[in-house]
Amino acid sequence: MLGPGIAAYLVLSVVLFATGALGVLLRRSPLIILLALEIMLNAGNLALIAFARRLGDGDGQIFALTVMVVAAAEAVLGLGLIVAVSRQRADLDVDRLTSLRG
Amino acid sequence: MDEFTAPTIDWAALSPVLITLAGASVVLLASLFLPPGVRRGFGAAVAAICFVGAAAAAIALFVADESGRGIVSEAIRRDRLAELAQVLVMGAGLLTVGVSYREPERVERAGEYWALLLTAASGMAFFVAANNLMTLFLGLEWFSICLYVLTAIAVERLPGLEAGLKYLIVGSFGSAILLFGSALVYGATGAIGFEEIAAGTAEGERLFLVAGLAMVLVGLGFKASAAPFHMWTPDVYEGAPTPVTGFMAAATKVAALVVTLRLLVTAFPGEEELWTVALAVIVCASLAWGNLAALVQVSVKRMLAYSSISHAGFLLMPIAAGNELGGRALLYYLIAYSAMSVGAFAVVAVRERELAAPVTVGNLAGFGWERPFLGGSMALFMFGFIGLPPAGIFLGKIYAFAAVIERGWTWLAIVGAVFTAVSIYYYVGVIRAMFMQPRELAVAAGGSPPPDRLLVASVAASVVVAVGSLLAADPLIDIARDAVEFLPFPVG
Repeated sequence: MLGPGIAAYLVLSVVLFATGALGVLLRRSPLIILLALEIMLNAGNLALIAFARRLGDGDGQIFALTVMVVAAAEAVLGLGLIVAVSRQRADLDVDRLTSLRG
Repeated sequence: MDEFTAPTIDWAALSPVLITLAGASVVLLASLFLPPGVRRGFGAAVAAICFVGAAAAAIALFVADESGRGIVSEAIRRDRLAELAQVLVMGAGLLTVGVSYREPERVERAGEYWALLLTAASGMAFFVAANNLMTLFLGLEWFSICLYVLTAIAVERLPGLEAGLKYLIVGSFGSAILLFGSALVYGATGAIGFEEIAAGTAEGERLFLVAGLAMVLVGLGFKASAAPFHMWTPDVYEGAPTPVTGFMAAATKVAALVVTLRLLVTAFPGEEELWTVALAVIVCASLAWGNLAALVQVSVKRMLAYSSISHAGFLLMPIAAGNELGGRALLYYLIAYSAMSVGAFAVVAVRERELAAPVTVGNLAGFGWERPFLGGSMALFMFGFIGLPPAGIFLGKIYAFAAVIERGWTWLAIVGAVFTAVSIYYYVGVIRAMFMQPRELAVAAGGSPPPDRLLVASVAASVVVAVGSLLAADPLIDIARDAVEFLPFPVG
């Protein structure tokens, strides 16, 4: 009858957040980095919804909905930029994006 | 059914946001129908009118509001702090219109450029009034996404695209950290509104609260480009079109720092001993990293980017003090700083157009004699950034130091003074290059662009604000005091 407690949801959201953060820091393909960023945002969403459920409060859920809209906008922009970059150069690797340095 | 009551929304208080947003819609739609030749002029005119209108609305609200109050179910705060910050953002936007009017971007994209500039300013106006964690996150992403696009607006230039992509990745990383921190604060206190968070911190889980506060601070640190969260700044400032860089340097700083002040003081007064110390560490890191890295820069835009990191340190110093004097110092400092940032990057933009190449300290040689007004203004901005009169930062820095000394942190003021001395070297390097180096004989590759009266007017306006903020220090400090007097400062 009883499902997992809030601790399970929070642990999962921390694991997701760490996965996403490591993905951003370690992976070199901008596509994978965008994916990892989405994971980080959704880790935040999961934590928000878990807390909202425990508190019996709607604010966290509305917050999570807003985050989804923002995440979608960010993904669109990120993919657009990646397409524009790949039109100018064939390889996609953030380590080789080095025209800016000083 | 008859129990329905329409929500009350204070449209007047939202007008700075709505005016700029409406202007953006008009520009976007109209540029579909207008012939390409008039799009730029039309867009610039609408943008300028909207910035003036939004600033006027914010000033009217500032005069009308004695004390602040929450509107739209307490999601937004209508108060003088938000209104003063909105005036500064709109002022930076207006100056940027003049600077970017002749920026060589393709004409068919002109409509989008002005619409994005207006939308970014609109998002900042919303962000500075945010009164709960959701509107804070929404406002942050609203203006950030606009700035990512503006950075990469010249899609045929790889440096711009690269800067845009880097800004997007690092900026979103910061936002995601801020979001997770917000979720933890919500879990600990059961509230997302700033006042409710302050009320709920006593019985909340300490671990969630502290971790959440730390992550929110990190997220805001990314936006304010404070060390050690500054690594995107030099690349993005260098790769973005120069007028956009000026706008980012000025308006983003205003927005991020005002929100940092509001959030920490209203939502976390009980955790004062944590965040003041954390901010003091960030201040020292920003001052050290920004000033030392600026010493070795060749590109003027990168040098100014590191200068902006060091100024993030100076600007966070009064917030770290956590007292009312600090709030006053921050707002007064921002007035001069935002105008001078736009002005300094405007001068760089002129040189860049002449040379059709990135501006370095070397190829500034002789610029001061070729264009005496712009060269003289740049010299004034450089002296001002050091913290010397006749620019308002002189007094702003003294105020910031006074705020931390009042808190008992004399050592922090000494750190600030030491790095001010370090900064003399690279700021004076620019002045020396402009006025004391032999003029290069190489022909300017960008030809000799016609004098750009709008840009010169923007630089002149920056000079007027920079010097005027010192001459009219008394009324401006009164305005800054009015803006922060209702904030529940935890110290003194």
